[in-house]
Amino acid sequence: MTRDEIFEHLKGVLVELFELNPNDIGLGANLRDDLDIDSIDAVDLVLKLKELTGKKIQPEAFKHVRTVGDVVDALQSVMAGGPAA
Amino acid sequence: MASPFGAEASRIGIKLSPDTRSEYNEYPYYLSGLKMRSLDVARRIFGTGLSFALFGIGGVLLSLSLFPLLRLFSPDAAVARRRIQRAMQLMFALFIGTMKTLGVITYELHGIEKLRRPGQLIVSNHPSLIDVVFLVSLLPQVDCIVKVGLWRNPFLRWPVAWAGYIPNSHGEELVERCAATLRRGNSLLVFPEGTRTTPGAGISIKRGAAQIALASRADILPVTIRCVPPMLGKHVPWYRVPERAGHFTITVGEPVPASDYCLPGEPQSVAARRLTRWLRACYSTEESRRAALGSASADDALGAKV
Repeated sequence: MTRDEIFEHLKGVLVELFELNPNDIGLGANLRDDLDIDSIDAVDLVLKLKELTGKKIQPEAFKHVRTVGDVVDALQSVMAGGPAA
Repeated sequence: MASPFGAEASRIGIKLSPDTRSEYNEYPYYLSGLKMRSLDVARRIFGTGLSFALFGIGGVLLSLSLFPLLRLFSPDAAVARRRIQRAMQLMFALFIGTMKTLGVITYELHGIEKLRRPGQLIVSNHPSLIDVVFLVSLLPQVDCIVKVGLWRNPFLRWPVAWAGYIPNSHGEELVERCAATLRRGNSLLVFPEGTRTTPGAGISIKRGAAQIALASRADILPVTIRCVPPMLGKHVPWYRVPERAGHFTITVGEPVPASDYCLPGEPQSVAARRLTRWLRACYSTEESRRAALGSASADDALGAKV
């Protein structure tokens, strides 16, 4: 899966879970400040993204995630099977 | 032209509007009224300070005497918790009674019998410093979320722990602790704004209350607190008392099951947003109504400076 495909998928998930406008979701958007996603939401997000990766995502993988771009990076890293960023 | 009465007014710290200032200039006999007003303001500043001082001292004394005794003579933690929450209610009721007796506040209560049903998530707006004291004074049993810093306070750490109060940690941990106590059938008091309302900034409802409601599927009981003229608000020092005693109106709404806001198969994040919008609507009507009262009354209320 390419980076772009991951981003598009993530965008779809964010719209579905958090009632966001797709146009607001850029790679640089801050999850908390720009998209109003709180830590409870993040739990829902991680559960949903598990469907994409097919692997359990360790919370540590998302520990340093701040922006949409960070989530894409973390997903790429998890899917590549490497240690999560 | 400088008037002795205007000077008198500013010396004792009463801000006069241009209209009243000329009134005072032209009709010196109003001065007696002015003195009465300043006396009233001083009396209420003293009353507020005294209430808080008694509350603080009382809190420390009870933390060293009554609360440990209640814990010691209770067969288990659950009984101690019930007794200590009841003692908190009585102590807070005494505080509210003191403020009322000293003429610092007046109040009216509507529908408070609905507060007594167990297992409810009681949510309230938060205009003043004494909202939690008011609501706890009406509730023989209720869990509260309190500042985690109190667990480091040498006097209060044990009472808050024995009372089963919940530290305001963040995120999942806090939501889960709150939901757990509701599922056990306890009622929980939450201020969805997370802090006192910033005057003039409108209501900002956080999503935590909705998350707690959805995680516990408890009934939500909305309470509205109104204080006219406003007092003990955010960013307002306690000694800046309003022009007359603040009148609190506490109105308890109708309970709403959290499940009313969930659709089958829908992610909880979506339900939480819907529920939060509903809460915001509950309180923003109140806020807009207050805004419609005009800034004049708010100015008036904060006009008596010291």
